[in-house]
Amino acid sequence: MAKIIVVTSGKGGVGKTTTSASFATGLAMRGHKTAVIDFDVGLRNLDLIMGVERRVVFDFVNVINGEATLKQALIKDKHLDKLHILAASQTRDKDALTTEGVEKVLNDLAQDFDFIVCDSPAGIERGAFLAMYFADEALVVTNPEVSSVRDSDRVLGILSSKARLAEKGETKVKEHLVLTRYNPARVAKGEMLSLEDVKEILAIPLLGVVPESSSVLTCSNSGVPVIREEGSDAGLAYQDLVARFLGDEVPHRFITEQKKGLFSKLFGAT
Amino acid sequence: MTRSRTALEIKGRMLSITRVRVLDADTAAIRAHLEQLAKQMPQAVKGMAVVIDSEFDADLPALLEAMRGVGMQPLAVSDGPLAASAKGLGLAVVSKDSGKTGNAAPEPAKTPPPQVASAAAASQRRPARIIAEPVRSGQQIYAEHGDLVLLNTVSPGAEVIADGCVHVYGKLAGRAIAGARGDETARIFCRKMEAELVAIAGIYAVSEQMKDSPRGAAAMAYLEQGRLRIEPHKI
Repeated sequence: MAKIIVVTSGKGGVGKTTTSASFATGLAMRGHKTAVIDFDVGLRNLDLIMGVERRVVFDFVNVINGEATLKQALIKDKHLDKLHILAASQTRDKDALTTEGVEKVLNDLAQDFDFIVCDSPAGIERGAFLAMYFADEALVVTNPEVSSVRDSDRVLGILSSKARLAEKGETKVKEHLVLTRYNPARVAKGEMLSLEDVKEILAIPLLGVVPESSSVLTCSNSGVPVIREEGSDAGLAYQDLVARFLGDEVPHRFITEQKKGLFSKLFGAT
Repeated sequence: MTRSRTALEIKGRMLSITRVRVLDADTAAIRAHLEQLAKQMPQAVKGMAVVIDSEFDADLPALLEAMRGVGMQPLAVSDGPLAASAKGLGLAVVSKDSGKTGNAAPEPAKTPPPQVASAAAASQRRPARIIAEPVRSGQQIYAEHGDLVLLNTVSPGAEVIADGCVHVYGKLAGRAIAGARGDETARIFCRKMEAELVAIAGIYAVSEQMKDSPRGAAAMAYLEQGRLRIEPHKI
């Protein structure tokens, strides 16, 4: 049985799709058969970031409506044969998603895959709700900024009260904090919330901190998940995050300001 | 089938009754105030049992109509200028209270023993509702007829409501409402006060009005002479 993981945040633009793409890629890189589903019906982005937008024939809604089989709609990644992508429909809206339809697709995927990553849309409406409803675990993506933290808190409340596991009352969804766009230098100047502030407010275990990095944008534009980018801080942070998710003990990095060396102090640009 | 011998069974019962003091004779102003109140706290106002207290001879029929209009249940008037018209309208007249509001200790002389009173009150009260999980933004928790005990934090944007007292052992950063049915003796306690709003029996303060109160420290909110006070909680 596959484990279902939702990547969610409440607020838009914090890095859900970036995280979904890199997280799913990382799981596949570690040898786990992984499917990643774009729940943002009507505003599909995941296929762009994964670099498969030219290969989308059928999508999630086609499968739910029985217009295509899962096998036809799943797009296999060019580099990793254990990674599959199920794109969202660009021409429909979230009403096309039904609870029964989503459940059936997830159940079918669960037969073949180790992990199913659900990339949630922003908000707390139908698409976001269905993305988290069937989850076993949740990556809550948050920026070090008050409105993002507030929205994540709201999402955690919904996860703990309205998700399927919570409704059954047996266990609860396992929650992980993913802090993205973290800039220790700006935290030191008091321009950003610190890691400690965010942890105190949300009170869930930290899975990883992804530093603010220009490579995230360039990777998105070129359709490569940032985790595949050699030498990128953000990519390394996602590799650590995946390793921690799989149970490895990896110390956190990129959480303190990097001291400039003597050379860069003397000659470096300001 | 055996018939019980008595036709009536008589039992003591404590009721929470809200006293409404009339400060302005202008019926339109009263109606506007009531409507605003009903909008702010529809749950509390609906069915609220009320005793009307007035120092002057107000237009009682108009007052009753306005109160019933928002769902209040006026039961009686305090003895005074309204007594005569109240009798005509079938309302009860109750003696004026001694002026000591809140937790004045009962005089030992002729008042009923305190144990009896508290036992009757206890039968109305339900056990405290205890929540171990953090209360997150957007969640609302209500303890009907009792106290609410929160072992974890109450996040900004969350709302915790009790007909009795509210106790927060974590940080209180959301809204806390005690005495939601008008119990003026209800209090709010927390280990770390950063509330957006606190309210007791409908008297409220938002954080902007709490500038002089302790922030980030243990605090207690209570009503004193109808005024909301938030003070550091010292032992």
